[in-house]
Amino acid sequence: MDILAVPSIGNGGLSETMSPRFGRCPSFTFITIEKKGIKAVKTVPNSAVGAMGGAGVQAAQLIGMNNANVIAVGMLGPNAAQALNALNIKIVQVPSQQLTVKEVVELYLNGELQEINGPNVGSHYGMNSGVDPGQGMRRGLGGGRRRNF
Amino acid sequence: MGKKPKIVCVTGGKGGTGKTLVAINLAVMFKNEGKKVLLIDGDVENPNTYLLMGGKLKNKKEILFFKPKIIENECSKCGLCAQHCAHHVFLYLKGQVPIPILTLCSGCKLCYKICPEKAIVPDLDIVGWSYSTNVDGISLLIGELKPTEARSATIVESLLKDLENIIENKSNDYDIIILDTAPGAHCDVELLIGKADVVIPVTEPTKFGELDLLRIIELIELLKKDYRTIVNRSTLIGYKNEFLSELQKKHVNILGDIPFDEEIVLSYCQGKPLMEKNSGFEHTNGYKAFQLIFNNLNKWLNSHKINSKG
Repeated sequence: MDILAVPSIGNGGLSETMSPRFGRCPSFTFITIEKKGIKAVKTVPNSAVGAMGGAGVQAAQLIGMNNANVIAVGMLGPNAAQALNALNIKIVQVPSQQLTVKEVVELYLNGELQEINGPNVGSHYGMNSGVDPGQGMRRGLGGGRRRNF
Repeated sequence: MGKKPKIVCVTGGKGGTGKTLVAINLAVMFKNEGKKVLLIDGDVENPNTYLLMGGKLKNKKEILFFKPKIIENECSKCGLCAQHCAHHVFLYLKGQVPIPILTLCSGCKLCYKICPEKAIVPDLDIVGWSYSTNVDGISLLIGELKPTEARSATIVESLLKDLENIIENKSNDYDIIILDTAPGAHCDVELLIGKADVVIPVTEPTKFGELDLLRIIELIELLKKDYRTIVNRSTLIGYKNEFLSELQKKHVNILGDIPFDEEIVLSYCQGKPLMEKNSGFEHTNGYKAFQLIFNNLNKWLNSHKINSKG
């Protein structure tokens, strides 16, 4: 049985979008996985969201306290990586695109998420940088008309 | 009882404006007057005062920084350290020995003090060094940050502890103490400005110089210190008069200006301070500019309230 943690925006949940940042994401969604299926879902607000420093460590502690043994991340800073490694929590990398929590779980179940064991960005990378995807409607994919020059 | 030494801080915000040039030559000019001078090099990532005075680093002292180490057998896993650490250094899961993430540690030692089992012991890391030496009659106290370490303020704090010791126990040893800061307006600079009686920001007549000067002035004014600026390389692009009047419009007091002078560069490269007696540079524009600045500085210091002991 695995408990997979996914950083999420808003209040979290399967249909919510995954947050690309770790330490200061608004919430975490914990998915209990049994026999390649979702057994339970729990959401927890991230107490480290407003932290000036040490957010990665606080967030890692939250993951540990909720007994997750694997976490899916977008960006991961150096302190967070160190903390997750110290707690023996497996880290898997999500490709950079806007995905729902459910889509991330599916990628994980299909073994498509690569394991990483170190940071992929510098400290404070996701702070105040408008990194979270917009909460409004998704932009259309319109290609427009080809121009003839 | 003797008078407390006067403390002059040379800073500037922008790098490369000539802080160290000014700090060294002011020190030399005070020495020439027969004053006992201490020059403290607070540019701990790049201490080079001794080089530019043709001296050598001596009396190396290690500066240690506290990091916590938990003795697992003694730890009762109560989590008190994790609960109270303001920097969230400890990862604590109930019933487990806390795991410190040492990069976050500020060295405050609170965990060490409050552990009920005394299971935390100090692990002391070298974060840098200080050196003390005397070059041509000027005492030098230099701080150096160990490469890859980030806590330059820790080295400056150690230098300031030495300074406090001097002010309290050896205040007759020096008449003047000159503080040379790093560029920028970070807390290592702030610590030195905070100790000064007067502050001299050194700038250059460019847009960059002006911007960084105004920024460092913000910090100086926050610390409620009296300051007067020196414009170095003032003749650099023929902008001197406009620049000086710009500063006057912004109510920035000017201690003086130093023209761009190749002889100054030469003295720098030779490791021979310009204002040293018989330096051979007495006829140069740079020399005359420094003399004028020194006269202004003495008038300013004399008009300043001096705290005397006893």
